[in-house]
Amino acid sequence: MKVIQVSHVSKTFGRVCAVCDLSFEVEAGTCFGLLGPNGAGKTTMMKIIYGRSRRNDGGIGTVDVFGYDPARDELPIKYLSGVVPQENNLDDELNVIQNLMIYSKFYGLPGKVARERIETLLAFLELSEKQGAKIRELSGGMQRRLVIARALLNNPRLLILDEPTTGLDPQVRHLIWDKLRQLRAQGTTVLLTTHYMEEAFQICDTVLIMDKGRKVLEDNPRRLLQENIEAHVLEVPVSNGTPVIGESELPAGVRLDRAEGTLRLYADDIDRLKSVADALGDYPHYLRQSTLEDVFLKATGRMLNEKQ
Amino acid sequence: MRSSSPVAFPTLRQRLFSVWYRHVRVYTKNLISNGLPPFLEPVLFLLGVGMGLGTYIQESMEGLKYIDFLGTGLLVTAAMFTSAYECTFGTFIRLEFEKVYDGMLAAPITVNNLIVGEILWAGTKGLFFTFAVMCILTLFRIIHLPQGLLAPPVGFLTGLMFGTLSLWVTSYVKTINHFNFYLTGVISPMFFFSGVVFPVSRLPSSVRFIAEVVPLTHAVRLARAVCTSRYHLSQLGDLAYIAVFIVVMGLLAIRRLRNRLIT
Repeated sequence: MKVIQVSHVSKTFGRVCAVCDLSFEVEAGTCFGLLGPNGAGKTTMMKIIYGRSRRNDGGIGTVDVFGYDPARDELPIKYLSGVVPQENNLDDELNVIQNLMIYSKFYGLPGKVARERIETLLAFLELSEKQGAKIRELSGGMQRRLVIARALLNNPRLLILDEPTTGLDPQVRHLIWDKLRQLRAQGTTVLLTTHYMEEAFQICDTVLIMDKGRKVLEDNPRRLLQENIEAHVLEVPVSNGTPVIGESELPAGVRLDRAEGTLRLYADDIDRLKSVADALGDYPHYLRQSTLEDVFLKATGRMLNEKQ
Repeated sequence: MRSSSPVAFPTLRQRLFSVWYRHVRVYTKNLISNGLPPFLEPVLFLLGVGMGLGTYIQESMEGLKYIDFLGTGLLVTAAMFTSAYECTFGTFIRLEFEKVYDGMLAAPITVNNLIVGEILWAGTKGLFFTFAVMCILTLFRIIHLPQGLLAPPVGFLTGLMFGTLSLWVTSYVKTINHFNFYLTGVISPMFFFSGVVFPVSRLPSSVRFIAEVVPLTHAVRLARAVCTSRYHLSQLGDLAYIAVFIVVMGLLAIRRLRNRLIT
């Protein structure tokens, strides 16, 4: 069953195309990630889904969320969804419980149901000890978890998160990933935006890489890696004294990308990169497995190719 | 895939209530600092201007002693100031700085619900501030109960008028300092020239029509009428003005702010 079906959607602000002819579908109970640099159109696409932004009128674009079009029926969509906006917008004047109680009213939850639900959610996000704390007393990670708890108040079938872990430390990030995995295991559909490749790799079943409003690649993150990039990378920082590695000197099956400050050599066969590394001797270099970030940089064309 | 049963999202009444409730909770969180000044301000005014300056004014104004004339006017200026501040600075901060609306609009309410909730909250603050002045005026024996209890509803209407007007102004404002033009250029003059500190009939005839056009004049007349139980048919005109103003300004504010909240 598809929870979200987006078909040929565009959104222009003046002459800027924030989202250009984008299409994708999100299967129920999966985690779908919109991945892209700042300004790629991720947040705009997300806002179109819950009715906060309107796609361009006319044309062939359609959006279907739980069978509803957000441009006409935003209320049922918002009732079935929880949204974590990019910025934490908690009420500083109120404490943790009061923040959640106010939002329980938006979903029409009776007081007793709301209190039980809040207790469960605070325990789930490991905030029980902070229930009486003022918002200013909470760390950034706690505030983020509280915003996520707020989005979960109505037991949403779809959880929408705009950059859920930006600016958080690794412990909190892993905690949030863990919670999102648990929610998905319970059947919640998760849609998130991120510019952390690792985040996409860790929790998404499907990743859609966006750049300048357009879809660049879409697949399972592991398959994206296998099919779009060589298995290993040798990174060599470039400065004046760097031994110049020309394409002609490279073993067969090694691809060279020259970016600002760094040379990256890609190959499926690690031994070929090792031979290059040996030749570099003491010169600093770093041999590693390639990541989604390499796919991303290749796909969005950030790296200047040798021939460019 | 659409679920077979319709989604039971909250009713319109529940949605408006939840917006209003949010504001009430945040406001009452600091009850002393938020709730005390509305009672103190009219005391200062009555002591300083009414009893101080007022003792030099022997002439009656519209058949009232000066302190009674001024006091009954203050009932609605309190409502005007609080709703004007709430829907300019308050709304702008929620919109641009605290991003409160981003969170609220993720919940099952529409932008229209949100703005109407703001307007109702402005009315509620008007009601409360007028109530505070009413308490003080009663203590000073300027007005009397029970007819004084009709003043807070007039304060509610005043709050709605200045709430809608201020939201409409806010929809144009890009930086918070621009509110000074509105507050100093529009709201403060209304305080002085709408029949609060002296009767509108004393204005030069060439500018008197302006007092008839601006909203505060009509609210002042109603407040004085209910407190003194001196009713006149022309007050139906004031009431009609207020009703039309709220509806027209409310629709304008919704239309303008909507474009700012939904991109």
